[in-house]
Amino acid sequence: MSEVILNQLEKVYPNGFKAVHGIDLDVRDGEFMVLIGPSGCSKSTTLRMVAGLESISGGEVRIGGRIVNNLPPYERGIAMVFQNYALYPHMKVHKNLSFGLRLARQPKDQIQDSVDYVSGILQIEELLDRLPKQLSGGQAQRVAVGRALIKKPEVFLFDEPLSNLDAKLRASMRIRITELHRQIKKEGLSSTVIYVTHDQTEAMTMGDRICVLRDGHIMQVDTPTRLYDYPSNAFVAGFLGSPEMNLKPASLVKHEGKPALRAGGFVLELPEEKQKCLENQAEGPVTLGIRPPFIDLADDDAEGPTVEGTIKFVEFMGHEVFIYFDLDGEEYAAVNRIENRARLLSLKGGERARFRFNMRRAHVFDKKTEQNLTLSNHV
Amino acid sequence: MRSIEQTAASAQAMAEVRKTERRQKINAVVRYVILAAVGFAMIYPLLWLIGASFKTNHEIFTEIGFIPMHPTLDGYIEGWKTSTEYTFGRFFINTFIILIPKVLATAFSSTLVAYGFARFDFPGKKILFSILIATLLLPNVVTRIPQYILFRELGWLDSYLPLWVPQMFAVDAFFVFMLIQFLRGIPRDMEEAAMIDGCKPFQVLLYIVIPMLKPAIISVCLFQFMWSMNDFLGPLIYISSVEKYPIALALKMSISATESFEWNRILSMTVLALTPSLAVFFLAQKYFIEGISTTGLKG
Amino acid sequence: MYESRILGLAYVTPFVIGLLVFTAFPFLASLGLSFTEYNLIERPYWVGLDNFEFMFFHDSLFWKSLSVTLAYVFITVPLKLAFALYIALILNFKLKGINLFRTGYYVPSILGGSVAIAVLWRYMFADFGVINLILGTVGIDPVPWFGDPGWALFTITLLRLWQFGSAMVIFLAALQNVPVSLYEAAMIDGARKWQAFFRITIPLITPVIFFNFIMQLVQAFQEFNGPYIITQGGPLKSTYLLPLYIYESAFRNFEMGYGAALAWVLFSIVMVLTIIAFVTSKYWVFYSGDKQS
Repeated sequence: MSEVILNQLEKVYPNGFKAVHGIDLDVRDGEFMVLIGPSGCSKSTTLRMVAGLESISGGEVRIGGRIVNNLPPYERGIAMVFQNYALYPHMKVHKNLSFGLRLARQPKDQIQDSVDYVSGILQIEELLDRLPKQLSGGQAQRVAVGRALIKKPEVFLFDEPLSNLDAKLRASMRIRITELHRQIKKEGLSSTVIYVTHDQTEAMTMGDRICVLRDGHIMQVDTPTRLYDYPSNAFVAGFLGSPEMNLKPASLVKHEGKPALRAGGFVLELPEEKQKCLENQAEGPVTLGIRPPFIDLADDDAEGPTVEGTIKFVEFMGHEVFIYFDLDGEEYAAVNRIENRARLLSLKGGERARFRFNMRRAHVFDKKTEQNLTLSNHV
Repeated sequence: MRSIEQTAASAQAMAEVRKTERRQKINAVVRYVILAAVGFAMIYPLLWLIGASFKTNHEIFTEIGFIPMHPTLDGYIEGWKTSTEYTFGRFFINTFIILIPKVLATAFSSTLVAYGFARFDFPGKKILFSILIATLLLPNVVTRIPQYILFRELGWLDSYLPLWVPQMFAVDAFFVFMLIQFLRGIPRDMEEAAMIDGCKPFQVLLYIVIPMLKPAIISVCLFQFMWSMNDFLGPLIYISSVEKYPIALALKMSISATESFEWNRILSMTVLALTPSLAVFFLAQKYFIEGISTTGLKG
Repeated sequence: MYESRILGLAYVTPFVIGLLVFTAFPFLASLGLSFTEYNLIERPYWVGLDNFEFMFFHDSLFWKSLSVTLAYVFITVPLKLAFALYIALILNFKLKGINLFRTGYYVPSILGGSVAIAVLWRYMFADFGVINLILGTVGIDPVPWFGDPGWALFTITLLRLWQFGSAMVIFLAALQNVPVSLYEAAMIDGARKWQAFFRITIPLITPVIFFNFIMQLVQAFQEFNGPYIITQGGPLKSTYLLPLYIYESAFRNFEMGYGAALAWVLFSIVMVLTIIAFVTSKYWVFYSGDKQS
């Protein structure tokens, strides 16, 4: 089986800088695992330690059960797709593809079959006789994927492969890679993937699970949906999901004996499950997290937790409207569908308006530890 | 209908444009004149040389134009014979017997050493690299005498060995430096991909790095070729038998050996001596100018 | 793999060996030699500071050679650099045929150090040479280029200046690297061509000027081929540059110790000047990326 296990993996540079702080990660056999985080979070470093391009300072990497710490890259059963494609500039495409196989001295006809198979899947047959400099970005990337595929590795490693492509190509390559993954899985080949990116659209759409990294620490590992709905800390909450979640200061207070939030002078009642989680929490400052789609422009007689804020500006996006309003010095973003068109379009900056917060979809984060206090046994 | 002001304004604008154009043209003309004058002064010696090699001696002393009135191959024929028992051909061959090992040794050792510096981290790297740069500036007057004594102890006097064996050890820091700069501009991705593909370390160098370094290595070879063709002091102190003389020494010898008025003989051999360098230069122009500009800028 | 320290050292080994055998050891040995007398036949014997004492207090030839060398260096280096920069500036224009000119100026510098060109120079400036012929056509008497000390030094200097091409090519590349947008911004700010030149162009190319300066300085002090072949150091030792004196001491007179001493004096002068240049470069060399006004 080709699962990848990271056990207390560490990276310390010669100057003493600790880039990766003892991370534990289980990538299941055949899983598409995405590593994501802001720049400098050492996601690439982690990937390169798995690949064998970066030395391991502590902990272990297991591939398919074997400890690979001291093995060179080509003995680990991995293949890698680089951000800059890294195609050999002096070799034609078919030689680029077959280089590894030729080094392993496979018989010529076997090599030819592999090249045909891979170029068929990736539709690069007409490119086989070209040099890398004669390829477009998308074509070069497909060849790079082909070079990885042809080795039939246990694990595929991708290092921000789509960053150098324009937006449109990125979208189509995303789909292509996901389909490819499904296809080789169906054919029974090893299909474990570790995919590094900083683009959360790629992460959310391609990953079976996503591992969010920050400064060399794992923030959370979960499926895209659960990360979106149940972020375990404020960082993950604010990092994933577009538009960004509102993370604003609020106070945990007691309202009619039950835990509730106070923001901008208004009381926001919490649903029962969340009240239970916060029972033993002391009153005081916390961070309120609520995504823009869950704030609605309210009619004056609306029920449920509402606040009154001053509109700063309104962005008309076609099918949605972004409303930015000020609540006691904090700027909130709300995204509303355009059902209420006339009303929405009539909003002006400086106007006061009421907004309803869907507290079922809200989170309360500890101000210091940033942990999500309102996760109960969902997690 | 345009008003009077409008027509006046546009006429003034037109005059301005014409004035600027005129100024630019004059500027360009002045530049061309200077460049041409300097260029002519630069090329004149070479043109005269070539012309003179085909002239009779009498004409050399009387005419200043470069086209010979009565062209003759006399200079070449007599000059080739030289006044020794060897023809100039012998000296040419000698030169190449020195050059070829020298250029190859340089390419080989410079590549290895540059690869080590550019791609690896090892103890003492910083110090060694600083020393490398320092040797670029080192006047080698100061090492020449002991080197001679060393080679004398080795019994290598009057042989070609002192002229190319040191090159096997990357003594010409300039070329190592040039290759290091070039390598720094190449991302390591392809070498990492090769490692993943199964290349052992030396194979990475052979199959991936060297092909990518090809233009720079060619520049190194070309520069070393040129410099070695010009090398005089080296052969002067190490080679004593006439039969081993390279062109540089043979030419020097011809000056004293030739009758005071048989100029066309020497001049024709001089032309021949310059020909390989000129030919190589013109065939590989771009490598030269690019090579010099890159190192110059990053220095 | 790149962290494999042993591998890295292995690749660099040839250099280390070469450094020790052909550079470091001879370097130190020559210092030691300068305190000895050694004629290659008998063993070297220690004479302490005698060589230097003779050199500085009794050897008028040394002082003559030194002064000639210094004159040569301090004339050719600034002149050559200035001329190279001047031509580079003229060439830095969207002219047609710029490559032709660039090549034409560059060719002499690759041929120039050779014996062949030195031979050519010797015949061109000879009494019956073509230069005097040309002067004759405009009514000037033949100049005793090699007979007169001043003129002899002049011909050698001219030979060096003729090779300005390599420095010019470097300057040209540096000039072409100055972003056009800087000049445009300056134009908008109201600068004239003149001002743009002094306040933008020059500061930005100071690193290259510095580099060329050091290179030319070190090379000029080691000039040998030209004087040796064209004038043999004469007339009256007016072109007897130090490298010639060193060569003759060591390889003609077989006074290896004295030759080494001379070499070390020359080396020290070059080193001192280089260090001064480096130290003062802080004040006038501007590297982009520095925050300086």
